[in-house]
Amino acid sequence: MSTAAIVTEGLGKRFGSKWALRDCSLAVPTGRVCGLVGANGAGKTTLLRLLAGLSRPTSGRAEVGGQVPRDDIQFLREVGYLAQEIPLYRRWSAADHLRMGAAMNPRWDDGWARERLQGLRIPLEQRVGTMSGGQRAQVGLVLALAKQPSVLLLDEPVAALDPLARREFLSTLAEAVADQGTTVVLSSHLVTDLERVCDHLVVLADSRTVLADDLDDVLATHRLLVGPRRDTTAIERDHVVLREERTHRQLSLWVRLRGPLVDPNWDVQELGLEEIMLAYLSLREPAPAGSRPVEVTA
Amino acid sequence: MTWLLWRQHRAQMAIVAALLAVFAVPVVVTGRNLTAALNACSHSSCGGLFTHYDAIVTAVNLTVAVPLIFGIFWGVSVIGRELEAGTAALAWSQSVTRRHWVRVKLLWLFGSTLAASSTLSALVTWWSNTRNVVQESRFAGLPFDLQNLSPVGFSMFSAALGLAAGIAWRRVLPAVATTIVGFVGVRMIVELVFRPSYLAPLTRYVSMTAPPEGPPGSLVQDTELTLRGHLVSGKVRIPDTCTPSKAFNDCMDRLGYRVRITYQPAGRYWTFQWIEFGIFAALSVVLVAVSVVLLRRRDV
Repeated sequence: MSTAAIVTEGLGKRFGSKWALRDCSLAVPTGRVCGLVGANGAGKTTLLRLLAGLSRPTSGRAEVGGQVPRDDIQFLREVGYLAQEIPLYRRWSAADHLRMGAAMNPRWDDGWARERLQGLRIPLEQRVGTMSGGQRAQVGLVLALAKQPSVLLLDEPVAALDPLARREFLSTLAEAVADQGTTVVLSSHLVTDLERVCDHLVVLADSRTVLADDLDDVLATHRLLVGPRRDTTAIERDHVVLREERTHRQLSLWVRLRGPLVDPNWDVQELGLEEIMLAYLSLREPAPAGSRPVEVTA
Repeated sequence: MTWLLWRQHRAQMAIVAALLAVFAVPVVVTGRNLTAALNACSHSSCGGLFTHYDAIVTAVNLTVAVPLIFGIFWGVSVIGRELEAGTAALAWSQSVTRRHWVRVKLLWLFGSTLAASSTLSALVTWWSNTRNVVQESRFAGLPFDLQNLSPVGFSMFSAALGLAAGIAWRRVLPAVATTIVGFVGVRMIVELVFRPSYLAPLTRYVSMTAPPEGPPGSLVQDTELTLRGHLVSGKVRIPDTCTPSKAFNDCMDRLGYRVRITYQPAGRYWTFQWIEFGIFAALSVVLVAVSVVLLRRRDV
């Protein structure tokens, strides 16, 4: 618990009769950049808002930076949050926003912020409403980072940006967190971005966590097994089968290995991150150890 | 947070200050002329004092709409617009607690509304000195709404209503509509239904030959025809002895017909002002409490 910057246990949020997030349990170690993945409506925004203290959970609990999210200065100064639409005061300049940050945060690195924006060639006196999406996202990020939070939560910050702007944003982020050791949770659809910047991965499907692990481990343990049709009970017993595809001659299994694979008759292929994520996202139930696979008959 | 407030609301405050200044000029000029004219006039000529002042009289009468402006421009936008635009999340991601943010915003809203509406009321009340004497008394309908405490109470209520609507709807347009409907509705109900009964009115009987007025400075609520102390309702049978002529009123008077006037004496003016101000102040407090609870319970 003490090494994890973010811990949740059975965290859930219900709006009316609909659960936006259910039974979410994860632990993000300190200093990691964690990618939060899921389809639209899977609960990513809800989870981030619960962690940021903007929303109160219906069930379960969360701890961020060692504190339960609540409305007090001790918590707020340690957690940074950037909402999906990058809310900024449209008629204000970037300099106005920095002045606001300096006035409203006990810890504020104004010099770093100005330097960063100038390095990105973002004019400090121009109205934010007239800036491009990429520039606005950078201003939002700099604002969130300048208060030097120990945990930073970003809700699909690069969704609306062109590839170049995305790369600049992510490199700003990567540099800053490397310097400060901030723990970051970044929600996204785009696998390439996640691979570039993240070292931890959380996948939400149907408002539940289906995967929460270090990225290296994920890539090392997930494999595609291809072979002739046969009995799969042994595989299902020893490992976690996420997905099955059968033709009348061949069988493909998307598998998470929980140990060495003893059967030599399988053709084992590595899986890219996107394939792995797609396999998890198509699950209809949570995938603890030994889940039932989803059958797809080709 | 003072810098934040200033930066966010400086344009609004500047506009209102400028409008007040612009309005003050003709008010002060005409007010001084009217006061001088009133001191100089004799009983018969005083009636014509306002003949060339139509424009300023209309302008003053129009200030009855000003309290609503505080609600739809300031009340709704102070928190409601921030919720709609998502900038509330930006403010709450700084290291200032939501409670503190709300408290400071409320202080700004009601402090500014109080300052602006008091200034306007002071201007209008001072200017109306002459009109209170010559035309309608200050106790009557519209002048009562425009002078002294009333407009301040209405403005605070309007601001509180806008605040609550903005937080409840989290969108500006429906909040503005709700504020307008709510403000007009409540004002009308209070003025037409409740104001006449703050205190039990007095009655006096006036001869048919005299003008059917209450004592000077009073609020007349009703004038009714009576015969020997009883209300004459329905169709009045004009007695055969009284012919429609100049002496008609004398004739009716001799037969015992009197006009009963129900009124509130002038001395009760300030009591009524305080009662109505108190009602709107209490409504404002309730609305602010509702707003704070709503904001705390809603996740935004």
